[in-house]
Amino acid sequence: MAQAKEPFEFRQCVSISKSTGKKAKNLRELRDAIATVSNESIFHHTHQYFLRGHILEYTNDFAHWAGESLEERILSEHLSNIDPYAFKNIDELRQELLHVIDVYLENFPEPREVVAGAEFYFKETITLIFPVGLRAKNLAEFLIAIKYIDVAAIYYHFYEARVRLGVDDFSRWLEDSLNKKELAENIRSIDPFMHSIEGIRERIIEAVEKDLRKEMEAIEP
Amino acid sequence: MIDQYAGISPKGDLVLLHKLGEKLYNKSFLHINSTRAGGGVAEILHRMIPIIKELSINARWEVIEGDERFFEITKKIHNSLQGNVENMTEDMWEYHYEVNKRNAEKLDLEADAILIHDPQPIPLIEFKKSGKWIWRCHIDLSNPIEEVWNHILPYTQKYEAAIFSVGKFARAAGIDEFIIPPSIDPISEKNRELTDEEIKETLHKFQIPIDRPMILQVSRFDRFKDPIGVIKAYRMVKKYNDCILVLAGSPATDDPEGEIVLKEVQDYASNDPDIHILLLPPFSDKDINALQRSATVVLQKSLKEGFGLTVSEAMWKGKPVIGGAAGGIPLQIIHGVTGFLVHSVEGAAFRIRQFLNDPHMAKQMGEKGKEYVRNNFLITRQIRDYLSVWYAMENKGKNILEV
Repeated sequence: MAQAKEPFEFRQCVSISKSTGKKAKNLRELRDAIATVSNESIFHHTHQYFLRGHILEYTNDFAHWAGESLEERILSEHLSNIDPYAFKNIDELRQELLHVIDVYLENFPEPREVVAGAEFYFKETITLIFPVGLRAKNLAEFLIAIKYIDVAAIYYHFYEARVRLGVDDFSRWLEDSLNKKELAENIRSIDPFMHSIEGIRERIIEAVEKDLRKEMEAIEP
Repeated sequence: MIDQYAGISPKGDLVLLHKLGEKLYNKSFLHINSTRAGGGVAEILHRMIPIIKELSINARWEVIEGDERFFEITKKIHNSLQGNVENMTEDMWEYHYEVNKRNAEKLDLEADAILIHDPQPIPLIEFKKSGKWIWRCHIDLSNPIEEVWNHILPYTQKYEAAIFSVGKFARAAGIDEFIIPPSIDPISEKNRELTDEEIKETLHKFQIPIDRPMILQVSRFDRFKDPIGVIKAYRMVKKYNDCILVLAGSPATDDPEGEIVLKEVQDYASNDPDIHILLLPPFSDKDINALQRSATVVLQKSLKEGFGLTVSEAMWKGKPVIGGAAGGIPLQIIHGVTGFLVHSVEGAAFRIRQFLNDPHMAKQMGEKGKEYVRNNFLITRQIRDYLSVWYAMENKGKNILEV
């Protein structure tokens, strides 16, 4: 079996939530707070939504709140359609969130306030990153590791990596260190918004197993 | 001891615990609360301190002492902070401070990090010697009686940070405020696997029949836990489905109101032979475990709640759970996925009937609940978070930390 040029070192991250002290009980308050909260808070409520066992109907906390607490389905659909990875920086993402809310406020009746206790609480996080003590030197080791690592490790390499590098860590390693272009492409084609992290794990396993099977069945000349 | 969590807790949590143990090697970590027994705080400290020690951190747990008057006052403070109107006078606040002052003279308050649990010992900050002082608030501060909060706030602001169990409990006191949910210990006597004999032994001891479905609520006899509402819901269910109700709770030394509420509940249950009200002595963990494992449906119908860890306890045992949408319960129960959230007696009765009539759904939700607890509400995660906050405070100003 082909050995990687560089082993894949599995890492994961843990987020500790911090309250910002800001909350919103209606859409205007949410809008005003989105305009002023820290970048870390916007990051937490958009990118890190995927780390917390998200409901597939939504792709960020704002859409989730609009759907579940404000019960404004159209607004939640529009907010869910925002891809946080499509923006160069948090400020651009913030402007898009504000734009979607402003358009909604112009075109639809003002939503009612949420019931007491269902307010939106703005948070930030402190993130700790650490190696989990696992390295894969070839595709078989990579497969075993993917099967058993925590969901937080998959989040770190599949989602968080997009912020760092614009692409997930797995496909980059498969392409750069193992020369597995097709497999890398298959993993890149997994839609990050349409699966839970367990779902992402299953799809990666499926793609890697398919590739391994092909490798095993190949007849050496 | 920490090795016992391998294969139970997520591996990453255990790896990070060891790494944080290396970073905080030989430092001292002092916890102070107001009761050694009864209630979730004491229970988790009993389990947590030995684990932190094993990570080569010098963890200590001290308990402040107070007389009946002190605990009556702190109960009033506790209730007011959760939104109940209580009559607090200036001399009560003075007594609250005085008792803490006396405790400060007796206790060794020197440590690198000091975690003060809840409002009873909050004035100890006035006697700070060294280290990082953190106020750990376990109760729901989202809607306090302002006048009482205004007495607590100046103490809070002297701490370097505060920790709340749920985001909406935080109060914007102008200090760093972290959100850390509490947790259960999967290998404790209360949550470990039990043999059939052990379960039967408990049921036999309390003369609980096993021929019909059992609805269970485990909690202190406290009005916020709505034990009367639970009996009302049970009576609604009973019209359609034969079942028994078990209400089980332990008294706590810092809760003088418990006896009054217990009497009310006993009167309300009247002479229904299918309602079993059990007043369990402290450390009845195995019996609680056995009751939870015997239950068909577990209720936590709280009206106000700190966090409601009995929900996670029942979920860890794979049980279908119905909880009041209060405090931290919605963080544990994802409605329709890991259990049901209810807002009324009628809602509770309806969901109990649903579970009793659809065992397949009850089983599926129970299994999902167990996995959810594994990833979010085990003790190893909570220790990881406490140490992470401490480590973050040692590295103030950084949002991303490589460990």
